[in-house]
Amino acid sequence: MNVTPLARRPLSCLKSSLRQARQQKIFSRSMVTEVQAAAAATPKTPSQSPDQNFYRLVDKKTKTIRSAFALYPSTSAAAGVPLTPPKTTNPVAALHEFQIKKLDPTGARTALFARTREAAKVGDILLVTHRRGGEPFAGVCLSIRRAGIDTAVLLRNHIGKVGVEMWFKIYNRNVAGIEIVKRRLKRARRARLTYMRKPKHDMGSVAEYVSAWRKSRRVFQTKGAKGKTAAAGASGKGGKKK
Amino acid sequence: MAPRLAPAVGARLTWRLPLRPSPTSFSPVLRTSFSTTSPQNVKLGWSTLPSRAKPTRFNQVTSGLPAPTTGPAAALKRKAQSTPVRAGVLAIKKGMTAFMGLTGARIPCTVLQLDRVQTVLNKTRKDHGYWAVQVGFGERDPKNVGAPMLGYYEAKGIAPKEELAEFRVRDEKGLLPVGVQLMPDWFYIGQRVDVRSNSRGMGFAGGMKRHGFSGQEASHGNSKNHRTIGSAGPSQGSGSRVLPGKKMPGRMGNQRVTMQNLPILMIDNELGIVVVKGCVAGPKGCVVKIQDACKKPPPSEEFIEKTMQALKERFPNAEEHLQQARERHLELKKARREKRIEEILAGGWEPTKEQAEMMERAIAEDGHESLGEEQATL
Repeated sequence: MNVTPLARRPLSCLKSSLRQARQQKIFSRSMVTEVQAAAAATPKTPSQSPDQNFYRLVDKKTKTIRSAFALYPSTSAAAGVPLTPPKTTNPVAALHEFQIKKLDPTGARTALFARTREAAKVGDILLVTHRRGGEPFAGVCLSIRRAGIDTAVLLRNHIGKVGVEMWFKIYNRNVAGIEIVKRRLKRARRARLTYMRKPKHDMGSVAEYVSAWRKSRRVFQTKGAKGKTAAAGASGKGGKKK
Repeated sequence: MAPRLAPAVGARLTWRLPLRPSPTSFSPVLRTSFSTTSPQNVKLGWSTLPSRAKPTRFNQVTSGLPAPTTGPAAALKRKAQSTPVRAGVLAIKKGMTAFMGLTGARIPCTVLQLDRVQTVLNKTRKDHGYWAVQVGFGERDPKNVGAPMLGYYEAKGIAPKEELAEFRVRDEKGLLPVGVQLMPDWFYIGQRVDVRSNSRGMGFAGGMKRHGFSGQEASHGNSKNHRTIGSAGPSQGSGSRVLPGKKMPGRMGNQRVTMQNLPILMIDNELGIVVVKGCVAGPKGCVVKIQDACKKPPPSEEFIEKTMQALKERFPNAEEHLQQARERHLELKKARREKRIEEILAGGWEPTKEQAEMMERAIAEDGHESLGEEQATL
């Protein structure tokens, strides 16, 4: 009708095929929802019904419609098939959740460093055991860096009268277990206890706290089971013996 | 002095002259025969040599010599080698985090999110001079879109996009159906991709920050010149001038940076994310372009086939939808020109007697019933 010959020329060649497609389209149109149907419908006869899917350019002074453009809803992409926006606008958090679920299925590690009363805090003495053997590392926790899957703790100890600090990623597979050896008596009033590096506040070696804790654990273990190390769960309940 | 013109041109001119009244054939003939410069386009090459020089006459196809390694054709062939086979996608940088491997490896990674990425336009060598796919990202409020672009999206049958970008592809095999959505599964885990984005803008930065100059001494008589760049070059004898390209203070950052060959660690269609190893330039929220790495072999034929098949299955009516949108666009465009758009909006538009007659005449001229009638009968 109003189509210029320019657009009509290729159509005439494809007419037979297009006619078939159009018959099929009747069914699909009845399937889709109201909004999409309005978008997919081609008002070849503009007199049919008022089409709401227009964006009107209004003249500011005269308040009359200067022009209008058909607007296709963003929910329909091609022929009424809905476009799927991503489920969340914060996929980093979702990725953290996904990975934590995989690497910490019991939720023990998450609970150990959650913001709860029972959880480990800065100032506590923690013991970290490695998966691939080696000496477990104990130290006073100077800071907890919470970053989802990348959450890490900084432990400080003295080895041979030399101060040693180590970061541990709590969800890393190489970290077999994290246990609380000794809790701090009073809650620390800082988030990061960097002052503990100063000689005045330095705790020194935590070896004696660890050995005392080991002795107390040994009470609950029989002599025969000494060799079998119950590889520590993160909750601190599973005793770790060397 | 007539012999200045080649005899062939004159012959063509006399032969074409009777066609002058025809409006369609007139202008091209005139342009081709009377142009003072040698014609330049994709087919003929961009050479500025006069056509009579014929630099290729010594290396004819029949001469048995190898194909020339210079010239437009050879240049295009060279360029094709480093152009990806497939188009890429647009995404937003959402931030960096760690990817914990099951063997204890911790891999720093960047999360890129795709939001309603759609193909908008195919560019062809015939029409545009190169093969490319224009891709749109996100959603934009139509009130923030100008009238020309509203018409553009109307003709494509898609909603206004937040961003548009082009991805060059090697040949016509890389072109995609218009309007389809590209999801993260356009790539596969382990694939190497190039990620392009604008780096963080640093503003006007000094020589020390911008180019890593050493600065100057803190003492030894230095006064108020601790971070200045010092000399800009030798003096008399070397020209007493600053050489072009001298590193100086100036605007730093906000330049396009390509991170090449980043492996993909994870894809998720639901979250719309592509997680790549390592860092990507730019702040969080910046738009990035992800495309197959141009310095690695392209994805396998089977994989490309699989992705194309998936597009067809997800959007079976893409072509038909585009065709309908185009028809509707032409109709509305005409209505806008004739100031009939308000009638269409009101829905009360009836063709006047003259218009009806005109339409009938147009139909009769075309020799077939219009599509509108055809649809009405269905």
